[in-house]
Amino acid sequence: MAPRRDFYESLGVSRGASQDEIQRAYRKLARTYHPDVNKDPAAEERFKEVSEAYDVLSDPETRRKYDAFGPDFRQVPDGVDPDTWARAQQAGARGGAGGGPRPRRGAQGQQVWSAEDLDIDLDDLFGGMFGGMGGGRGGRRGWGPIAGADQEAEITLTVEEAYNGGRRTITITGPDGPRALEVAIPPGVTDGQRIRLAGQGGQGTSGAAAGDLYLVVRLAPHPRYRVQGRDISVDLPLTPWEAALGASVAIMTPGGEAKVRVPEGSSSGRRLRLKGRGLPNPKGSPGDLYTEVRIMVPKKLTDEERRLFQELAAVSTFDPRREGRQR
Amino acid sequence: MTTTVLTRRRLVAVELLPLDTFARRTGLHPDLVRRLVALGLLEATSDAAGELWFPPTQLPAAARLQRLRAGLALNWAATGLVADLLDRISALEAALRSRGDTPWT
Repeated sequence: MAPRRDFYESLGVSRGASQDEIQRAYRKLARTYHPDVNKDPAAEERFKEVSEAYDVLSDPETRRKYDAFGPDFRQVPDGVDPDTWARAQQAGARGGAGGGPRPRRGAQGQQVWSAEDLDIDLDDLFGGMFGGMGGGRGGRRGWGPIAGADQEAEITLTVEEAYNGGRRTITITGPDGPRALEVAIPPGVTDGQRIRLAGQGGQGTSGAAAGDLYLVVRLAPHPRYRVQGRDISVDLPLTPWEAALGASVAIMTPGGEAKVRVPEGSSSGRRLRLKGRGLPNPKGSPGDLYTEVRIMVPKKLTDEERRLFQELAAVSTFDPRREGRQR
Repeated sequence: MTTTVLTRRRLVAVELLPLDTFARRTGLHPDLVRRLVALGLLEATSDAAGELWFPPTQLPAAARLQRLRAGLALNWAATGLVADLLDRISALEAALRSRGDTPWT
């Protein structure tokens, strides 16, 4: 578990903040990070953090204890002198094998504490995630099990991944730090579609069910494919003679190579449809793939090419700028 | 008539939860559940005997009301308003998503 932040830092207030300032900061953060308002999986942890901080700092008595003893304040029995406590901790720290969990003090039956001991379950403290907060100090008990909130996270897929589906591992912020989830992407997901992962959302309290996690699909911009719904558009570069005479050309689609029959006299901008070659649709007919004619010319002509184009220019009466554009 | 039959069929197809089951599953007292229905915060249908029946979709709805009330110190009426506004935001975001725009959140 990641080390807890200082409670004042969690609320973004100074150590000398008044009770009013603490309350104001908490209310604002609670509205921002409430798991029903903010569907980011990380928001729930942040909400718990600010709620725990507020629970401690809003009570002058526990706040005094926290100020005196720091994060260990819950382990300190009433009436202990802060200096004695600090000395005892330093003595314990010197005896330990550097850096690890706080060493145990006294081998035989004396008071013993460790870093693990500090990992108090928030549910134990608050009687559930929401039990101790919001309504002030009186509201600690009386909340039964409450199911967890649904959460949302974005997942960015390439057009090919959306077409083929497959497995993806994603990392989500959870109560015990980041956790990896393997997600089965169904073939034919579209931009903005939500994939539901049942029970992977916010935690329930007191044994209640967790919420669901929804992954919102974002399609990454693709150098060739433009996706609208399930339809995909792609440029179809043609030579002037292919466009003029007609041709059958091969083009790569997300589903593999396809042949496009270009009718003669196809100018730039003409859209040729390959029916059903867009994104698949598990619940109906697949999208279409539109190829858009784009006539390309060689940047440098060979002598022979130049001669032939000049010959064509001399012979042809075609003027695309004339009204009507077509002969 | 046809519409009525279809509606009835649809209602039969959805498994409805009786009040006591719904109360147990949500951890709310049955009297409180009745009050939330009266406030229009939960949807339920009444049978001929006046008993309340809940569609399963109202389980997460009840959990959300509880979370909003406990987490933001709202009264029940206010949780209803917030829940309605959150639903409207979700609908707007879904509409934006289907247009391919990025929501503002």
